[in-house]
Amino acid sequence: MSSLIEMRQISKLYPNGVLANDRVDFSVERGEIHALVGENGAGKTTLMKILYGMEAPTEGEIWLRGQRVHIRSPIDAIRRGIGMVHQNFMLIPSFTVAQNIVLGREPLDRGLVNYTEALRITEQLSKEYGLKVEADATIDSIPVGMRQRVEILKALHWGAEILILDEPTAVLTPQETRELFTAIRKLTERGKTVIFITHKLREVKEISDRVTVMRNGRVMGTLKTAEASETQIARMMVGREVFMVVDKPPVQRGGVVLQVRDLTHIAETGHVRLRNISFNVYAGEILGVAGVEGNGQTELVEVLAGLRPATFGTAMVDGQSLLNHTPRKVRELGVSHIPEDRLTYGVALDANVAENTVVDRYYRPPFTRNGFLSVGFIMEFGNGLIRQFSIMAPDASVPVRALSGGNMQKVVVAREFSSQPRLLIAAQPTRGIDVGATEFVHQQLIQKRSEGCAILLVSADLNEVMSLSDRIVVMYNGAIVGVFPDAQKVTEEELGAYMLGLKKQDPAEMEAYL
Amino acid sequence: MKERRKQGWFEFARAVGTILAALLLGFIITLFVSKEPIAAYRAFLLGPLTRTNRFGNWIEESITLTLVGLAICLVFRARQFSLAAEGQLYLGALVSGLVGLYFQMPALLHVSLAVIAAALVGFLWGLIPGLLKAYLDANEIVSTLMLNAIAIRIYNLILTYRLKPPEAGYTVSRYFHPTALLPRIVPETRITTAIFWAIAAVFVVYFLMYRTPFGYALRMTGANIRFAYYGGINTKRVIYLTMAISGIFAALAGAHLSMGIHQRVILNVSMGLGFEGIVVSLLARNNPLLIPVTALFYGYLRAGADIMERSSDVTRELVMVIQAVIILLVTAEGFLAFLQRQMRIRRGAELAEGKEAGDVI
Ligand SMILES: Nc1ncnc2c1ncn2[C@@H]1O[C@H](COP(=O)(O)OP(=O)(O)OP(=O)(O)O)[C@@H](O)[C@H]1O
Ligand SMILES: [Mg+2]
Repeated sequence: MSSLIEMRQISKLYPNGVLANDRVDFSVERGEIHALVGENGAGKTTLMKILYGMEAPTEGEIWLRGQRVHIRSPIDAIRRGIGMVHQNFMLIPSFTVAQNIVLGREPLDRGLVNYTEALRITEQLSKEYGLKVEADATIDSIPVGMRQRVEILKALHWGAEILILDEPTAVLTPQETRELFTAIRKLTERGKTVIFITHKLREVKEISDRVTVMRNGRVMGTLKTAEASETQIARMMVGREVFMVVDKPPVQRGGVVLQVRDLTHIAETGHVRLRNISFNVYAGEILGVAGVEGNGQTELVEVLAGLRPATFGTAMVDGQSLLNHTPRKVRELGVSHIPEDRLTYGVALDANVAENTVVDRYYRPPFTRNGFLSVGFIMEFGNGLIRQFSIMAPDASVPVRALSGGNMQKVVVAREFSSQPRLLIAAQPTRGIDVGATEFVHQQLIQKRSEGCAILLVSADLNEVMSLSDRIVVMYNGAIVGVFPDAQKVTEEELGAYMLGLKKQDPAEMEAYL
Repeated sequence: MKERRKQGWFEFARAVGTILAALLLGFIITLFVSKEPIAAYRAFLLGPLTRTNRFGNWIEESITLTLVGLAICLVFRARQFSLAAEGQLYLGALVSGLVGLYFQMPALLHVSLAVIAAALVGFLWGLIPGLLKAYLDANEIVSTLMLNAIAIRIYNLILTYRLKPPEAGYTVSRYFHPTALLPRIVPETRITTAIFWAIAAVFVVYFLMYRTPFGYALRMTGANIRFAYYGGINTKRVIYLTMAISGIFAALAGAHLSMGIHQRVILNVSMGLGFEGIVVSLLARNNPLLIPVTALFYGYLRAGADIMERSSDVTRELVMVIQAVIILLVTAEGFLAFLQRQMRIRRGAELAEGKEAGDVI
């Protein structure tokens, strides 16, 4: 019997000369969960875009259900039962969840869209697969995890039999990831097939039946997941041994760098997002912030980085007030910031890599001399960072748009690490980057810590917070509900109880450790 | 690197292709509406080259188009859809005219003063919608269109009630003092030293955009305003300064019209030239170095259309249709982008053979 999908000898050469897929053979069986892994820029997204008709292969054949097919466009792919949820979502922000789900396949009533019916369809799909959404809320008002569920439901409404998920868990909390996995299993029970791209090998082990590993545009092999270990997969991906355990020298805590007192932020909508937050971050330590996403971490980071005003309270860096200044002033005080969403704040897609690496310093020498931009120097600087941070790009003059998702993240990390910060605010610093690069970023964070930089680390990845941090605070509903002075001594379960608001420490007790 | 240069050429070829396609369509339309389509179309295609004064008209128009094209290019690169050029052009024409009429001084000084006054008023007339946008979030399309209407009213008012001599039969001012006229440099044409401003302006804009920190801030604001803000760029300042600086070039176009072409203040000095700058800039993909090229192209087209209208049975309406076709094709560049992709895919197939993965050509 032939496979459900068979991609044979697929090559893809992008116009800028990057060979993203090189004679790739890839096959998927009906009803399986197939993981696709590989380093940033290995060509995973490209391969899936080809299957989904978004990119034309330069060479190669696609066979679907035993027949040779030419998939010319996403519409064509959808007609053949292939649906894809992208790394970057493609929903209409001002439409409601139900409107987005039925978009293009609207239930009609005398030529008009029957919205009640759309709501019903949404509720029914949502219940059937256990993917919770608020059918009547607009997209721009719902959190990112729910947007992703909307994308999946939309593909299902369109009749997808094969569902491609491009790094779905990169934006999810552990809780949401578990729910997603439950839904994926339900899908395959109903005979659907799922292709799942991820950088987290734990997830590969947990969910997939088989795993295909890509490196440098080629397929290194396809394994039965049950027979492969995480280290083995990692080695295949990177081509060398990867150390997934962080090796951290003991903390050498210096003086206070960041001092936050009673920080409160009330959003324009009137919601209280931060409630009397107080804590210190010391030189040479990493303070981890744990919490389910949406409990004020984003606001905390953005208030400190000068992107949002504080309603009241104080925050000082080396004794100088940080609040309600422009981002430039904040940066000049020695703060650098890796934003959680690279596409919103982190990069300008149409500017080139070099330009993206100097946005915080372009106006200073040596980037500007005598009033003129040192174009050559900026390009050299960009090329230097490309080498230093192993960013996969031909050179610094290519637009960031042409980089893979993980390499865009590396551009951001490279810029923020290279500015010699006193305080580094790192929000989801390894989101969407591969194991090798994650290892690299972790090493860099430890290196900065050893150099005496104060680091505030916010991550939805509990493992990351626990293995890197010296101290951990837990945020729940805009407040700090727990502090753990020794990150080594806390368990995942205990943190979880605080994150879900089941436990809470006494503020007076916490004070000594914040 | 070689690949990139090739891409640049392709962009250029694409712009030319867009125009050629439009010309072909124009000819097909001419076939239907003219009894002598060949002659009419020849007048259109070759007309501007047949006589010195026609050649002059083409170049004069191209100077104006270059300047307004640069004005539009600046604001578009910062992703501000400011349409203020038309009003700024009127005010530039008016203010340089006032200096030309009411002051007396040595030639070089007089011209300089008139130009500086025009530039200043263009700057200020751009600053208004810029500040409104930056600090009050007023939509720049709406505010600039309203400001255009105001500028044109001011122009007409001052021209009719102050500048027009009582004895004049129609609404024009007196000729400016000779010291305030731009020297003509090609006999039998109205091509003046303004051509040097236009050339200099191209380099100034290019330099400003690519070689100064302000230009960097401008381009980043246009590429992703949140990124620019996060990185520490004062995006409000970028917005209002860009709109103000853009005004300088539009006003210079106006000064060129009154001090170089008409030598006095006339009614309806522009008739939408400020908006033609949009076509010029879009054709040049908002690249300042390409703007003189596309301005010459588009100026030629307009000059030819003018001649066809006057020398054949083709009406003004058709002329407008041809111009509309070009604008349509420019906005529908997707078609050509598609062609380009097809070509790349074919060439890519050849390159792929024997290439290593991740290799870069
Ligand atoms: N539109 C594009 N134009 C040119 N090159 C591109 C384009 N998209 C991707 N590339 C290049 O193709 C290669 C593969 O990219 P792809 O997005 O498929 O990687 P990926 O495996 O999905 O990586 P990641 O894990 O970082 O998302 C990269 O080197 C990238 O720079
Ligand atoms: Mg990808």
